[in-house]
Amino acid sequence: MNLAMLKPGEIGQITQIGAIGPIKRRLMDMGVLVGEKVKVEKIAPLGDPIEVTIKNYNLSLRKKEAEGILVEAVK
Amino acid sequence: MSSELSRGEETSPVQSSDSNDVAAGFSLRNERETITVAVAGNPNSGKSTLINAIAGTRLYVGNWPGVTVEKKSAVFEHEGRKIKLVDLPGTYSLSPYTQEEIIARDYLVREKPDVIINVVDATNIERNLYLTVQLLELGIPLVIALNIYDEAEQKGYKINTMAMEEMLGVKVVPTVATKKSGLNELLKVVTKVVDNPSRYTPKHLNYGEDIESAAVSVQGHIMKQNPSLNNKYPLRWLAFKLMEGDSHVMEEASLKIDDAFVEKATIHLKKAHGDDIESIMADERYALASGLTREVVKRPEVRKMEITEKIDRVVLNRFLGIPVFLAAMWIVFKFTFDLSQPFGDWIDGATAGPISRLAAKAITAVNGPLWVASLTTEGVIAGVGFVLAFVPVIFAMMFFITFLEGSGYMARAAFVMDRAMHSMGLHGKSFIPMLLGFGCNVPGIYATRTLENPRDKALTALLLPLMSCGARLPVYVVFIGAFFSAHAGTVLWSMYVMGIALAVLMGVIFKRTLFRGESPMFIMELPPYRMPSLKSLMIHTWEKGKHFLIKAGTYIFAVSILVWFLLNLPWGVENKKDSYLGKAGQVIAPALAPIGFGNWEAASSLVTGLIAKEIVVGSMAEIYAVQQEDEETTTVSDDLKEIGSSFLTAVRDSFRNVFATLGIASISAEEDEGASGLKTVIQKTFTPLTAYAFMAFVLLYMPCVVVAIAMKHEFGSWKWFGVAFAYQMGLAWVVAMIIYQGGRILGIG
Repeated sequence: MNLAMLKPGEIGQITQIGAIGPIKRRLMDMGVLVGEKVKVEKIAPLGDPIEVTIKNYNLSLRKKEAEGILVEAVK
Repeated sequence: MSSELSRGEETSPVQSSDSNDVAAGFSLRNERETITVAVAGNPNSGKSTLINAIAGTRLYVGNWPGVTVEKKSAVFEHEGRKIKLVDLPGTYSLSPYTQEEIIARDYLVREKPDVIINVVDATNIERNLYLTVQLLELGIPLVIALNIYDEAEQKGYKINTMAMEEMLGVKVVPTVATKKSGLNELLKVVTKVVDNPSRYTPKHLNYGEDIESAAVSVQGHIMKQNPSLNNKYPLRWLAFKLMEGDSHVMEEASLKIDDAFVEKATIHLKKAHGDDIESIMADERYALASGLTREVVKRPEVRKMEITEKIDRVVLNRFLGIPVFLAAMWIVFKFTFDLSQPFGDWIDGATAGPISRLAAKAITAVNGPLWVASLTTEGVIAGVGFVLAFVPVIFAMMFFITFLEGSGYMARAAFVMDRAMHSMGLHGKSFIPMLLGFGCNVPGIYATRTLENPRDKALTALLLPLMSCGARLPVYVVFIGAFFSAHAGTVLWSMYVMGIALAVLMGVIFKRTLFRGESPMFIMELPPYRMPSLKSLMIHTWEKGKHFLIKAGTYIFAVSILVWFLLNLPWGVENKKDSYLGKAGQVIAPALAPIGFGNWEAASSLVTGLIAKEIVVGSMAEIYAVQQEDEETTTVSDDLKEIGSSFLTAVRDSFRNVFATLGIASISAEEDEGASGLKTVIQKTFTPLTAYAFMAFVLLYMPCVVVAIAMKHEFGSWKWFGVAFAYQMGLAWVVAMIIYQGGRILGIG
């Protein structure tokens, strides 16, 4: 399961970051780390990008990037 | 993974009491002449506001060498000490992947500032400390400005700054930059740290046994290979970069990487944690930041719904998001252009009318020759007026863009629009520059600075001139009046649509050709909404406006003088056809034949349109020698009165435009007085078909010279303008040709 599959309001715990190179580093620099809990807040009106809360702040990213972030749904 | 902050061996305790500073300082005390302070911090940490509050109008805005990232610096006296403040680009990290981050770390490593002020957002300590941890690796004395402290308190955060100082080995000063509080204390601490660098050496945070031991052996290896690097770089930092495989640093330090050695040094690390050392390091840095945050920050148990959340429920709502966005854009557009336009018109009118007449009178009074009067009024004064006429719109645009960014809405606008813009290879933030382009391409080009990625910025600037700006409108108005008055609205609308459609087409083409392979990311913080301080807005706006006036103004002025000479040389030229401009038109005309208007008059008018498209109408009138009304004679006092009264009219119009609820004044077509004569002439030389081709050509053929200068100014070279010039000329010719030849085949015209 990946982050792009979560619906607004759902929370996931990151299990793996599939991206490589600059995108991976950028994600990590923004606090997107394995083990971190991430909550999907909103999907943009046109369907992409999405807004998530991570490390107590709001981050937006495109679905394409979110698809590379594997998560486990947290109830 | 260790999340405990433990003290390294080379730490120096921070004293919480400063009473014995003077006594303790003795031989180590080092009163430097100029204290160099680098200011680092996350975007949205209030860093700009803090800098503006400290340095105010003493700020100098320039560019970092070789790139077009803005560099702010200031030199000022504080309590008898000279302080040089250098603002580093706002970054989340010091990775080797973005221009901003490379600039920030290169500066820190090469220039070795005396101290770093690290602005940390007190409401978001964890992510901000991630940068702090990286800054500490450099071993440069550091002072934390714990900014936005008031908001953190309001949220009920309890921050133990003493514990923070103890754990990091740096001084922490709570600040509220918007209210100027804590800033004096901050500067005081900065001088204290500079005077006693050995006492305030930052701590080596413990990255855990595996990383630390690998770093120690890599350090030893570097020392063996090139001991002089120890003076040039912080050794521990260099070892970290080597382990992370940072090619940028290795290349610069001309370190020959003994792969086998680094491999050996990190083998244990890799065995325990995996192959990607860059990720292991990032993990560890965040672990340190999280651990520290847990120790020093107590958050209230029950979280209130925050104001940002409430606003976003509406602003980013699935159904309301776009209408809110469009309304916001409408307001920005309206304010930028309608508020500033009357003042631009006033400057334009005053320089062309009364000021020119006054100058002419003065020159005649001292028996100056006619050509001097002509050069002064039509060259110099017209040139200055031309530059100044842009000032109000540039100021207005900068003000609103800064407000959008500072308030946090810009990120939301990008969020809402990204999908649509992404389809043509652009970024969500590209929308605003494009929109401004409909008013005037020049502020649009300057607004591309809100885009961080150089690729997004360049592509936006390339497509922007296809947005039909206000200056092209007078041309449409004359031609539509002459040929299409029955379908005026539709024909005018078709011009705008044609521009947008071609922008989409060119965007897709550029994405696949010029910008192939690069896929920029969209990983963007949505910062909390905050009210930017008026002072900060003013300073920012003023700096940008001033920059435009000086840098771009000089070029634009030079070009206007050049045009005067083109029109008036060779000396004593009577017929416009024999002027250099007319000759240029004759040379170009054959190339325009296949597109329907291969005569020197049309060609020459188009040449003058390179200066500014609205000039096309004026030059046509002049070239076709349309009978114009004689100017009435005025007295000196009449002229002065006219300047004053027209200013009052401008103020009134500006207010009226803002409060006018119907329509956007800047796109409401107005007819020129002399235009009726011109219409009769062009009805004779053009057909409806060639007229439409001509309009399309004017829409597309080239951004005006001011856009060229703005592009040079924003991108540091003529490269992107060159690309824009070439493709637009080609596009204009092809589109006009298709219209004309296609129309002929269909039997129109």
